[in-house]
Amino acid sequence: MNYFPDEVLEHVFDFITSHKDRNSVSLVCKSWHKIERYSRQRVFIGNCYSISPERLIARFPGLKSLTLKGKPHFADFNLVPHDWGGFVYPWIKALAKSRIGLEELRLKRMVVSDESLELLSKSFVNFKSLVLVSCEGFTTDGLAAIAANCRFLRELDLQENEVDDHRGHWLSCFPESCTSLISLNFACLRGEVNLGALERLVSRSPNLKSLRLNRAVPLDTLQKLLMRAPQLVDLGIGSYVHDPFSEVYNKLKIAIQRCKSIRSLSGFLEVAPHCMSAIYPICGNLTFLNLSYAPGLHGNKLMKLIQHCRKLQRLWILDCIGDKGLGVVALTCKELQELRVFPSDPFGAGNAAVTEEGLVLVSAGCPKLNSLLYFCQQMTNAALITVAKNCPNFIRFRLCILDPIKPDPVTNQPLDEGFGAIVQSCKGLKRLSLSGLLTDQVFLYIGMYAEQLEMLSIAFAADSDKGMLYVLNGCKKLRKLEIRDCPFGDAALLEDVGKYETMRSLWMSSCEVTLGGCKSVAEKMPSLNVEIIDECEQMEFNLDDKQKVDKMYLYRTLVGHRKDAPEYVSIL
Amino acid sequence: MELQLGLALPTPNMVKGFDLNNHGLDQLKEMGGLEAWNKAAGCFADKDCVKSKRSFEQAFGNFTEECRTKPLLLWSGQPNEEEDHKDQKKATFSTTDENDAEEDDQVVGWPPIKTWRKKIFQQQQQPRVGRAENNRVAENENGRSIYVKVKMEGVAITRKVDIKLYHSYQSLTNSLITMFAKDKKCDEDDYILTYQDKEGDWLIAGDIPWQ
Repeated sequence: MNYFPDEVLEHVFDFITSHKDRNSVSLVCKSWHKIERYSRQRVFIGNCYSISPERLIARFPGLKSLTLKGKPHFADFNLVPHDWGGFVYPWIKALAKSRIGLEELRLKRMVVSDESLELLSKSFVNFKSLVLVSCEGFTTDGLAAIAANCRFLRELDLQENEVDDHRGHWLSCFPESCTSLISLNFACLRGEVNLGALERLVSRSPNLKSLRLNRAVPLDTLQKLLMRAPQLVDLGIGSYVHDPFSEVYNKLKIAIQRCKSIRSLSGFLEVAPHCMSAIYPICGNLTFLNLSYAPGLHGNKLMKLIQHCRKLQRLWILDCIGDKGLGVVALTCKELQELRVFPSDPFGAGNAAVTEEGLVLVSAGCPKLNSLLYFCQQMTNAALITVAKNCPNFIRFRLCILDPIKPDPVTNQPLDEGFGAIVQSCKGLKRLSLSGLLTDQVFLYIGMYAEQLEMLSIAFAADSDKGMLYVLNGCKKLRKLEIRDCPFGDAALLEDVGKYETMRSLWMSSCEVTLGGCKSVAEKMPSLNVEIIDECEQMEFNLDDKQKVDKMYLYRTLVGHRKDAPEYVSIL
Repeated sequence: MELQLGLALPTPNMVKGFDLNNHGLDQLKEMGGLEAWNKAAGCFADKDCVKSKRSFEQAFGNFTEECRTKPLLLWSGQPNEEEDHKDQKKATFSTTDENDAEEDDQVVGWPPIKTWRKKIFQQQQQPRVGRAENNRVAENENGRSIYVKVKMEGVAITRKVDIKLYHSYQSLTNSLITMFAKDKKCDEDDYILTYQDKEGDWLIAGDIPWQ
């Protein structure tokens, strides 16, 4: 029933921006579906193999912004072989052939070739924004094409990509006429850049709000850039090494003081701790501080810096901050919402400098804390219970104890009760990563209490299939489940195969599932792709159904088996 | 005085990476006749030792005479531990505290840190080319640096690495490969780290704990 003309509905839909809401709107009736699809400009595809570019184009002809994700999350940790998939080229090719006026492309964990970038740069006149996160496969030549051909480019944001740096003059490829840049992030590039070209580019970009430099940009260039762009809101410093008594350093201090709009500071890929006082004038306004690439910064110098940052909402730091340093954070950063503590010495002999004490301190001092990533030496149930009480607002809780099966060192018990307290208290919890010694019990708690849980990462945990069953039966909103090295087998996998259609994906590696079990899932659920990743090619020689599968990745899809899988991937 | 390490190509039996967790280590051991490339003495340079240009043989002669030698510890890991890893995963971890040889306890993909982030750390640990060329041993957080000359087969340039900055053969190998990748496109899986101990025997790096 439609009491309003289409244009009115369209106008109303303009206000509905979240993907979930728009998806819901499109399901109301045929008429709404039609109006919604023609007016939709932004589409998010969490698994690039769940749909094809042709179907995307057919449904959303007004598409302007596309977000695509490729490899499974565990690819970040080397668990997915190099050429598994996630190629963006077919998408760009199809979009280029169509009449879609693409303006924004955001990719995560995809393979992006120079060819794709070149095609992208030449195919869409109004292309404005390219964001690549954890991607690979391209070189600075591809970036040169983007710089040269995208006349209205506003955003080029490269985060943690593997880029083959040819040290070409890609920065010089931005034409003189390009004055539209708002955001430029090349921190992940390893090579030299043309500093003169960089200075000129920044000078002619009055709208530049975000600038993240790589390690090759020295202090004196930084100083010049800041003088030209005092309007910056987000700054990533590449190299921060200099003599505190030099002329350049003095100039830098003056330049930084002019940048009254900086709210976000990151980088410090190289840092001289005795030069940090130049930063103090802007610390008071910072809402995001990322020092997680700066192992040279610790102890008193670090604490002094933190003490200036009273408005901090997000802090990314290395564990050399220590429990004591986290105490300083707890006292200073009352607005803190997100904390990430990374290990500075991942393979060291038990030298992680933070323990449960630091976390407890932060939870007590920062009641707004809702997002945590914490690599630590150890954790206790008592601490987790305290944290759960102090901070019931966690949306993301990721704990990584460096020894993945370490029990509570005080009681020698598993950490079931601690994590149980977290899921019970944090009713809005959407993402959870577990570690430490864990039995089936923790999964019982998760199934019972984690009603909003969407993503769960499990490693080296549980005693039996029951663990996995508790989760699959209990967590109604589960979308992504990734499991490694757990004793979950076919019984758990096959209990409710329909569940996997309600989820984006399931990853299981080094578990007890067999080839026969996986085949069974594939047979019962044609809407799933069940991939067996077999790098050692054991499967070739031994097709016994009882054979345990090393890596299985299954995901729902509307387009059947993908055609670009490498030899060692079998899709059942 | 310097230690010298070498990166060499293996014989036709290709090793799938230097990952101690798959059967890579077993394959390594099974392979005979590795083409040993360079040598390293089994001793650590003192701050006062002076570098002088010598041939490899002379350098080693001097090592044994002049330098204090620290015997490398015997590895307590058993080959069986690798194969049984999947069944005994819990057992291996519980011995972390006492066991010096942590290398064999390390698991692929654990701790879950992005590869990119790990590479940044390796990059930061590499001394810049300029610094490496002079002999000053730089102070760093870990105490004195120990600079070691490294050569890769097929590459003319020798590099220097501060091995004090590394904690494992794996991180050292990764770093060396990243370093040499600039000179010669190489596949991570194709190279083996070798060294020569004070007796002059060619050894595959990894048999002995990092310490």
